[in-house]
Amino acid sequence: MLSQNIIMADDDADDRFLVQAAFEDNKINQKILLFEDGEQLLEHLYNQSTLGDTRFILLDLNMPKRDGREVLRTLKSNKELSKIPIIVFSTSKAPDDINSSYQLGANSYVVKPSSYEHLKEVIQKISDFWLDTAVSPY
Amino acid sequence: MKNLSSVRMLTRILNEGQLSWAIRLLFIVSIFLIIILSFSYHSINRELIFYSERVDHTHDVLDKIKDINSKLHEVTYYGRGFLIMGDSSNKEQMLHKLGVMPAMVDELMQLSEDNVVQQEKTKLLRQAIETFGNRVRIYAQENPLIYTNEQKKSLLMAGSTRTLEVVRILNEMSETETKLMANRLQSRNNYKQQIFRFNWVIMGVALIFLVSAFILLERELAQNKMYKAELENKVDNLNRSNSELEQFAYVASHDLQEPLRKIRSFTNLLVTRNSSHLNQDTMQLLEKIDRSANRMQLLIDDLLAFSRVIDMSQNAEEIDLNDIMDEVKTNLSSIIREKSAQINQQILPTIVGYNIQILQLFQNLISNSLKYSKLNERPVIDIFVQEVWGYEIPGVKESQQDLPFYCIKIFDNGIGFKKEYAEKIFVIFQRLHGQEKFQGSGIGLAICRKVISNHNGYIIADGKEQQGASFFVYLPKQTLQS
Repeated sequence: MLSQNIIMADDDADDRFLVQAAFEDNKINQKILLFEDGEQLLEHLYNQSTLGDTRFILLDLNMPKRDGREVLRTLKSNKELSKIPIIVFSTSKAPDDINSSYQLGANSYVVKPSSYEHLKEVIQKISDFWLDTAVSPY
Repeated sequence: MKNLSSVRMLTRILNEGQLSWAIRLLFIVSIFLIIILSFSYHSINRELIFYSERVDHTHDVLDKIKDINSKLHEVTYYGRGFLIMGDSSNKEQMLHKLGVMPAMVDELMQLSEDNVVQQEKTKLLRQAIETFGNRVRIYAQENPLIYTNEQKKSLLMAGSTRTLEVVRILNEMSETETKLMANRLQSRNNYKQQIFRFNWVIMGVALIFLVSAFILLERELAQNKMYKAELENKVDNLNRSNSELEQFAYVASHDLQEPLRKIRSFTNLLVTRNSSHLNQDTMQLLEKIDRSANRMQLLIDDLLAFSRVIDMSQNAEEIDLNDIMDEVKTNLSSIIREKSAQINQQILPTIVGYNIQILQLFQNLISNSLKYSKLNERPVIDIFVQEVWGYEIPGVKESQQDLPFYCIKIFDNGIGFKKEYAEKIFVIFQRLHGQEKFQGSGIGLAICRKVISNHNGYIIADGKEQQGASFFVYLPKQTLQS
């Protein structure tokens, strides 16, 4: 249980900070791994010794090097890594982005809330569902 | 070449309107010139043919004279033969040739009908030939073998005097005719030369006009090409600015909202985490920051909504405005219920347009009427329809004057507005009331106007303060087929 983690990939340091704060303020005791771009994220997933450590991934769409869409495509075409639930976490409300994310295999799509109060609420809900309600594939 | 460059100079100096007149003038002048030249050419040609015919005629007359002359000589020849030999063969030949001569004179008479002098001479000739003939015929009845040499000699002398008389007349006629011929030949040559000259003149004139016409045409074509290029350029620019606008919408949606979201999130976080340490004053200030950021977010959202109306990528379709109104009422049902508003409408027509935009148009108008209602009065909105012609619409484009339109009139009993604001309210972010009294960003009517212009229609507002507002929506009456 201790080695389990939640991954967040976002190029925006402020967003990483806010999400982390929201986890802390919600008192969710999960290890949170932060990555600045898709490449770092994929590198980590390829190199980790045991699968099944990651409970879910909060994935931003617009990132340098390898963006969220590419990460989605890569992970969902990998037999083992495709099991990890991916929550696209983006500012974009564009129907195009939402549709294409689901088509690429995203498990859900959440628009980044515009206030901290709301963010805290959303993080609480996501955690409630993916950590407590949903059954893990591992 | 000189003509060419002068025409070019001309076209460069003249402006568009003058040029079209110049072309017309050139056309009329050239038609007149061609008619005059053709007419002259025709009459010269006629003269030429006339004189050619006269020359031929003279030739005929001369030939006839020569014929008569040779016949005369034949008669004399056979006469002499008869005188010497006294045989019937020579006599018959002589009388036969003599017999032909009156017919020949008649022919000559006919030929010289046009000439009085020659006619007179021909008459003389006829008399002389008759005298000569009578003499010959008397002589033919005698037997020449019985004549002495002396008698023969005197006979010969007498005959030759008669013959010479005829020959003299013939020669005179021949001379007259030859003189005439010289005149006629001269005239014929004159006209021949003239016709050659005329040929060149007509060719020259035709060439000048053809070349000018060609140059003008060329110039028009070049100008057309230029206009076309200009137009294409403008279309390109328009497309570019359109896509720039779309990009701007994206930037507004994403890049502008990002920092705004951060401002709100961080103030929020600050308040959440430190609420116990902050004094009242600081809390108020932080709230003000949040409210401003929130308002800016709304503005950006509205701007986005407006920019979405610019997007014309969807297809026009037939829209039943009754359905649209039903949808509007459903969307606004909570506020309608809250204010217990009453909406009366006539049966609305079907138009051609963009569904989402038309919905937005009517929803904005109705929600405005509900929003700016009087506090102590139940909102009543009346919607009427009327068919009008383009020229009845104030400020209509000239090209639309003869087109049929639907005029949809929306009246309310709300707070209205001063008449001088009737135009201003359609300007983006333009508001007549403070944020405290009525919330909003002033985008609604700007969107309405944009939608209307996308549909080639018109929207006109009218109102009085505290006496309700009225909006006139003009949409072209058309079907998809047309």
